[in-house]
Amino acid sequence: MKRRIGTAVVVGAGIAGIRAALDLAEYGYGVTLVDRAPHLGGILSQLDYQFPTDHCGMCRMLPLVQRDDASQHCLRRGLFHENIDIRLATEVTGIEGEPGKLRVTLKQQPLWVDPERCVGCGRCTPACPVEVSDAFNAGLTRRKAIYLPVPHSIPNAYVLDAAACTRCGACVQACPTDAIRMPEAERRKFHILVVDDELAVRDSLKEWLEAEGFSADMAGSGPEALDLLLAAPYHLMLLDIKMPGMDGVEVLDRAKQLSPELAVIMMTAYATVETAVGAMKIGAMDYLVKPFDVDSLIPKVVQVFQRIQAAEARQVETGAVLLCGGTAFYDPSSGKNPFGYGVERNVLTQIEFERLLSGTGPTAGRLTRLSDGRPVRRVAWIQCVGSRDVQTDADFCSNICCMVSVKEALLAKTRVEGDFEATIFYMDMRTFGKTFQRYRDVAEHQQGVRFIRSRPHSLVGDPASGGLALRWVDAAGACQAESFDMVVLAVGQRPAPVSAQLATQLGLPLNPWGFIEPEPFSMSRTRHPGIVIGGAFSGMKDIGEAVIQASAAAANISRVIHSAGGSLASEEPRLGGALPESLSREPPRILAVLCRCSRTADSRPPAEFFSRALRGDPAVAAVETIENLCTRDGREQLLTLVGKTNANRLLVGACLSYTYHRHLRELGPEAGLTASLVEAVDIAPWSDISGNDAAAGALVQLRSGVAKLKWVDPYPAPVIQVAPRALVVGGGIAGMTAALAIADHGYGVDLVEIGERLGGNLTWLRRTLEGHDVRALLEDTLTRVEKHPRILVHARSRVVQAHGEVGSFTTVIEGIENQVYHLKHGVAVLATGGTEAPAKEYAWGASPAVMTQSELERKLADGHLDAKGMEAVVMIQCVGSRQEPRNYCSRVCCAASLKQAFVLRELNPQLSVYVLYRDLMATGFMEAGFTRARQAGMIFIPYRLDRSPLVQPVDGGLTVTVEEPILQRMLRIDAQLVVLATGIVPVLPRELAEAYGAHLDADGFFQEADSKWRPVDSLKEGVFACGLALSPRSIPESIATAEAAAQRALRILGRERLATGKVVACVRHSLCSLCEQCIDACPYGARMLDADSERLLVNPAMCQGCGACAAVCPNNAAYLQGYPARQMLAMVDAAVGGAC
Amino acid sequence: MSDFEPTIVAFFCNWCTYTAADLAGTSRLAYPPNIRIVRVMCTGMVDPKYVIKALLDGADGVLVSGCNPGDCHYINGNYKARRRIKLLKEIIEQFGFEPQRLRLTWIGASDGIRFAEIMREMTEQIKRLEPSAARLKMVI
Repeated sequence: MKRRIGTAVVVGAGIAGIRAALDLAEYGYGVTLVDRAPHLGGILSQLDYQFPTDHCGMCRMLPLVQRDDASQHCLRRGLFHENIDIRLATEVTGIEGEPGKLRVTLKQQPLWVDPERCVGCGRCTPACPVEVSDAFNAGLTRRKAIYLPVPHSIPNAYVLDAAACTRCGACVQACPTDAIRMPEAERRKFHILVVDDELAVRDSLKEWLEAEGFSADMAGSGPEALDLLLAAPYHLMLLDIKMPGMDGVEVLDRAKQLSPELAVIMMTAYATVETAVGAMKIGAMDYLVKPFDVDSLIPKVVQVFQRIQAAEARQVETGAVLLCGGTAFYDPSSGKNPFGYGVERNVLTQIEFERLLSGTGPTAGRLTRLSDGRPVRRVAWIQCVGSRDVQTDADFCSNICCMVSVKEALLAKTRVEGDFEATIFYMDMRTFGKTFQRYRDVAEHQQGVRFIRSRPHSLVGDPASGGLALRWVDAAGACQAESFDMVVLAVGQRPAPVSAQLATQLGLPLNPWGFIEPEPFSMSRTRHPGIVIGGAFSGMKDIGEAVIQASAAAANISRVIHSAGGSLASEEPRLGGALPESLSREPPRILAVLCRCSRTADSRPPAEFFSRALRGDPAVAAVETIENLCTRDGREQLLTLVGKTNANRLLVGACLSYTYHRHLRELGPEAGLTASLVEAVDIAPWSDISGNDAAAGALVQLRSGVAKLKWVDPYPAPVIQVAPRALVVGGGIAGMTAALAIADHGYGVDLVEIGERLGGNLTWLRRTLEGHDVRALLEDTLTRVEKHPRILVHARSRVVQAHGEVGSFTTVIEGIENQVYHLKHGVAVLATGGTEAPAKEYAWGASPAVMTQSELERKLADGHLDAKGMEAVVMIQCVGSRQEPRNYCSRVCCAASLKQAFVLRELNPQLSVYVLYRDLMATGFMEAGFTRARQAGMIFIPYRLDRSPLVQPVDGGLTVTVEEPILQRMLRIDAQLVVLATGIVPVLPRELAEAYGAHLDADGFFQEADSKWRPVDSLKEGVFACGLALSPRSIPESIATAEAAAQRALRILGRERLATGKVVACVRHSLCSLCEQCIDACPYGARMLDADSERLLVNPAMCQGCGACAAVCPNNAAYLQGYPARQMLAMVDAAVGGAC
Repeated sequence: MSDFEPTIVAFFCNWCTYTAADLAGTSRLAYPPNIRIVRVMCTGMVDPKYVIKALLDGADGVLVSGCNPGDCHYINGNYKARRRIKLLKEIIEQFGFEPQRLRLTWIGASDGIRFAEIMREMTEQIKRLEPSAARLKMVI
């Protein structure tokens, strides 16, 4: 791995944080990945099933080249990478300095359970008497105060919830490894000063605090408090605002002068909340509204206590910071609560429902009513609860909830045997992603999910039947009511609580709803060049978008680090792992180490039994036992043992073998063993059964491990060369952005553009809906591209031929005057763009007054449109779009119509604007533009596909007829202009994509490797796509895909040589009959027939080691290094219990 | 046959089913000790000869378990396994093994409970058959 001196800090280890951290780590930067939670994965750790497969595929995010640098197991269970330092339960408390040289202050919350000692035996949990609501199951279940935060995460150390813990010490007694300490003594040393003029309040506070083990003093007035503060140090002051004489605010001001470190919580009556908020600006931490109870006070006090007890703050020097702080959600029980959330047990949020579907959830995946456990037959989803709602100050769309509901409806159908009816109540189904519309259509037409366009107004529980009566008004104005077993609320996003604080601290602007506002045309760059945002922090996104933007953010971060000199190598690359030459020829000497663990039962078979049984095999040099191998002590003992026994292979028999992978890999270099020479087998399932069965079962696993190690191929992984140049096809904004991002890292880029000049669709666009200047962006980008010393622009050129694979492509282009050039490059980025779909409908061509959006845009630009002479304009959305054969949303047309409507209104304020639409895709913060348009009196009329509007040319003007669903009458609009939103079609020639081994999807867009987890990659490594060739997108979204593609390309360009994985396919040429079955079997296109040598070749960087080729080969010529057949057969033998 | 304890060789893919097995272990979900796990990277790499070898060695049943459809870490390895197992069921009959001795399942990484259920189910299914006669008949 090539290590560079540059480092980055990624704050937030949700899906976006993980993607960005991996991207940066794969390029060679050191990354510190921080999360406030004690586990990785963010929201995704709670979601088992993701659209569109309705399962999971998160592991596809793991590195594809240099795979052995990272963990190779389910990503939901955990992650490691050589270049990533993961710090959980850690908060960022400060960021200062210049871009390229930032100082980030990290504070780890105190860990009352030592993860180095905890063996995850779980004996503490039944001992704990406290039960609180379990956040992992969205509050649907209860957990103990000492618990596993996520059941499937590893390492699986338990965590103590300090706020809930009563410090009874039962868990300390139960713990066999002394991993738990009680905060008892620390709490006594925590001094709290209570300042209140009312004795009763002071007394009860003191009593509560002392019951919790804190030391509390009291003061009856401001001056008294100040005297006490002078006399002795305090950690926390609880301060009343309204006191006679010196009031709380004044006391606060003076106290802060005396001891600036003092934490202060203000206590206030409801009437003076504003004063309390004001007090927070001059240094108070928080406030409590009187009257409060012990349950609201203690968590706040414990929070301060935890913060002060936190480990010494560490400062990390870093090049740049990525903030992926996640999101919060609207609380549907706040406000008017028309749907009875929190009152009716069967009213859930989407996340809660997701937990209900999960195998690790409260009902183990069975769908039953929470109130009475009866089966669920009818479920309703209500969209836009706390989104698209000005009453809850949420004039935005939360982007993901429509698809989440469709997915949940389809999943729920699979969970219920017999009748099941899913109903989705919506305003607009925002199916704006690439395959979303078809997914919705399948749900509606094939799976029978009911879609009702309405906003239900109330819900009443029926105690007799346990059902929920939901009432709504249908399109015709009639009131409808139906009974449901369960109602799921699609709650909207809210800014993450840290947003405001970080924004103030770093001087970043917030949008009107409190989300951090990125720079114009960027989704990740902020005003501060060293600080980049990603994930739901800047607005809710689905996984695919979060992944794209995380890679884009990584590219922007990487650029900052690179320009500060961070790309220089700090370490010589270690390729494929150094291996003593002789090792492959030495006879195996296996050291078998068995863990005697505190978590297993005492009935386990004696060590001598295993020793005797395993020693029968001459390959086993020694059998030893170590207590609690997963602890730090255990690992040290293991290292000593390896040295002492002079073993050249190591077998570990323990529980949870995943836990060991990382430690064993770290152990490798110290003990001189590479990862392939170390094997861990899980003998835990045998520990719960007694006697001979247990011994036999565990022995089988150990023997199978011995067989594996005996037949291992200890060869170093192959290496391929990388040509350090990129080819970008297409010179629109996406192509130019990708070229710049790669070239800015010092690699040469050939930018091939078929047209006369660069710019693509930006040449005819002027402004965005938000009012940003498109021309200025184009001018700026053109200047940067043309002046860049590493970008070679080939205008009026086209790709005529291409061949090769990741690391070494050769492309032939034909340029001006048929000149032919051969370009050598390591990666290819396809950014061939897209164009407006041609109009065929609505009298286009029959009347000059019917035009497409781009025609209108051009006419507006050159002033050839007489808007003043018009009375009405009709805009028709989804013309030929979102219906077969173009059954996808083009994403930009709704925004374009809104924008053009505003421009026309500027030209003629009297103009009537009618927008005929199916679902208005005003996603994200664009919703505010939609609201503004309605406020400006523009008329929006939804139409159904089977009752499309009719446009007829009449005496120079146009008549548009459409059914108005609320009036339930046909409307006739006399318009002088009809604008057709025809959407986007891609321009990606099939031959071009296939020349690079990429494919097109059903609509002619680039087929990505995986729409969620690898959204800009081709399945064939080294080929990427961005911009409109990938999918319909706005300018900032296209730029994000371009930056993402560039970052994915940089992972490969960043190395002169690529080492592949230890498990990789090979060919025995003497046995190969060239039948080519393996070529078809390979999902990655890593195999090819070399015509010159008449040999089957494998590109080891593209091969992912799945072994499909070895299984189809009729001659045993294809084999998997790291999993040879003889090894597998020996393992099968051992498993059955035959000869080892 | 109540005291018949079958030996079942289980080929589990590294990404999904092996994770589910691990999760079942962490969650302390008991499943029968008859299952002998062989971890493979992907069910698509389970060569028919491994299955036949296991049966000839005397295994009473063989279970192949991978990722859910559409979830394969290697894109389509589980589909390859599905085709192969279907054919294998016919082939093993020629060798004198009942097709019920071979089973393919899909268990996602978070389905620890389903994993334990399927292990119990599979063990019951094999228990209903006679012990495999291969060990007695074959000379290897």
